[in-house]
Amino acid sequence: MFETGPNWRRDVAFGAVLIAVLIAIPFLGPSRYFIGQLTLFFIWATVVSQWNLVFGVAGIFSLAQMAIFAFGGFATGMMGLYLGISLWFTLVLAGVGSILFSIIIGLACLRLRGPYVALLTLAIAQVMYLLIITDTACFYMEGVTCRNFTGGTRGLAKFGDFGFRELLGRREYLKGDYYLSLFLLVLATVFSFAIIRSPLGFAFRALRDNPEYGVSRGLSRFKYQLLVFAMSAFFTGLAGGVFAGHFRVIGANVLSLPLLLFLISMMVVGGLGRAWGPILGAALVMLADEGMKDFVEIRNMGYGALIVAIVVLLPQGAAGGLEQVWDWGRRQVLALRGGADRPAAGRAGEGRRE
Amino acid sequence: MERTASEPLLTCQGVDKYFGALAAVRDMTFDVFPGEALGIGGPNGAVKTTLFDVISGLNPATAGSITFDGRTITRATPDRTCQLGMARTFQLNAGFDTLSARENTLIAAYFGRHNRLVPGMRFDRETQRLADEAMEFVGLDEVAHEATQTLPVYHRKLLMVAGALATQPKMLLMDEPVGGLNPQEIDDVMALVRRLKERGLTIMLIEHVMRFLVRLSDRVLIMHHGEKIFEGSASGLVYDKTVVDVYLGEGSSRRLRHLLEDQPSSDEGASGAP
Repeated sequence: MFETGPNWRRDVAFGAVLIAVLIAIPFLGPSRYFIGQLTLFFIWATVVSQWNLVFGVAGIFSLAQMAIFAFGGFATGMMGLYLGISLWFTLVLAGVGSILFSIIIGLACLRLRGPYVALLTLAIAQVMYLLIITDTACFYMEGVTCRNFTGGTRGLAKFGDFGFRELLGRREYLKGDYYLSLFLLVLATVFSFAIIRSPLGFAFRALRDNPEYGVSRGLSRFKYQLLVFAMSAFFTGLAGGVFAGHFRVIGANVLSLPLLLFLISMMVVGGLGRAWGPILGAALVMLADEGMKDFVEIRNMGYGALIVAIVVLLPQGAAGGLEQVWDWGRRQVLALRGGADRPAAGRAGEGRRE
Repeated sequence: MERTASEPLLTCQGVDKYFGALAAVRDMTFDVFPGEALGIGGPNGAVKTTLFDVISGLNPATAGSITFDGRTITRATPDRTCQLGMARTFQLNAGFDTLSARENTLIAAYFGRHNRLVPGMRFDRETQRLADEAMEFVGLDEVAHEATQTLPVYHRKLLMVAGALATQPKMLLMDEPVGGLNPQEIDDVMALVRRLKERGLTIMLIEHVMRFLVRLSDRVLIMHHGEKIFEGSASGLVYDKTVVDVYLGEGSSRRLRHLLEDQPSSDEGASGAP
């Protein structure tokens, strides 16, 4: 139930093992497809980990995350293409720009509650989508070919990449993108853990649980809502930029509804508002998706069944379920050690009074 | 910063609250002095709670001025009034449901005392100490790690008081602190309010239960349809014709009179009173 427990040692240990395994994987000679899918997993998990701050922790039903992702991706690509500067540089600029973009969305949502936030943010994403795919004006001519400002329906391309092709060669360059996106995921996850476990995370959750009571205990809704929008945007924008650099193209399809639902289901499957939720959820959903690739006719059904199963059987998500198993196991171990004098986890106050 | 007893802590001057054309609060003028307990009574719909909303900033006044501790807070937001030292409890069981009881109080202690421009990475020692002290003061230290949503009504009422105390207030606004409680719990809350007064806290409380109101308040203010119809000592209340006509009725004013005459200062056997 609570994320505050003295579990940080466990989390650090688990995280370290996970990072070590992920660093080692490319040396074990996996297929290019596998590396590519893991890279995509890192990118989606990064986005979901930040979305989870807004949607799960702060309880603001924003669907703007992919719009911020697209903003980051397009900003990285467009600056790379039109200004001719390195993607490494435009990536950081795009990340900062995403913060401003997200704050504007947060401001627009300030007076809205619940599903109305979802409606407005979805509308913003759809407007972006439409603006891009209806962009037919020639921004510049490439020979006899007309190129649109946003890339239009074809997508924005030819802005280059992160230079791993030159550095590592055509065969190995995927590993560069792999480690870059892994690094991004690690940073984003550490960031989200720090937020969730700090007073700021409690402020977000408090305002989610009861905004009126929250403001009466000194929490400014204005400040903390804008703050959560701002904080969740940076790594999302960076993820968009890394995505663009990895595929060397970015198009309006990142704003499509199916992709949005794909990512939302990661959040739900992992466990809303839970620190480990995004990584677990992204892994489970991508695995399920992968497993059903050969059964196209039942793919959507199986995918829906997974979500139904999680919502019904594990309303706290996979992370919540694991947390319960962990607490149970911990109690068993303490009991085995004959720790009758030791209070069980989360009950430290027991027995202090006679 | 020390203020003399003659200087009011809270002053409401001609406060109006309109919802569109509807006047909810009309021309409220009163003072609350440091260390006193001002009880607010009145029939349903007398907009007592709205008055609290207006004072605490949740629903700011349309006209008039409110001064608290030497500052004008007429337009201040509720988070600001909290940080200035005005803590409030609610009629309904407000709380952060998915968090533990202690976490509820920690948040109040951390964010409610002063404005956190950039919140830190953890709850500092001082915050933890204040939160634990507040939990112990109201007697919730044993359930500190329980989830708030699983607590019984009585504990949730106490948790609101703990959260309010953790913000280190100068003044406490209590909205029906004993609503929905059984007689034993009512007596326990009465004892708690007395201990709060002993700590030197200024208290404003809304209450329907008259025996609770008159015996805890140094002064009483009765509202009706958003207007003040009485302000004065509790003993004067039962002789005031308007109050008896509008609110108390003959029967209960007689019973209250007996209650006040029988036990002018102590409260032994109070649970048997009507």
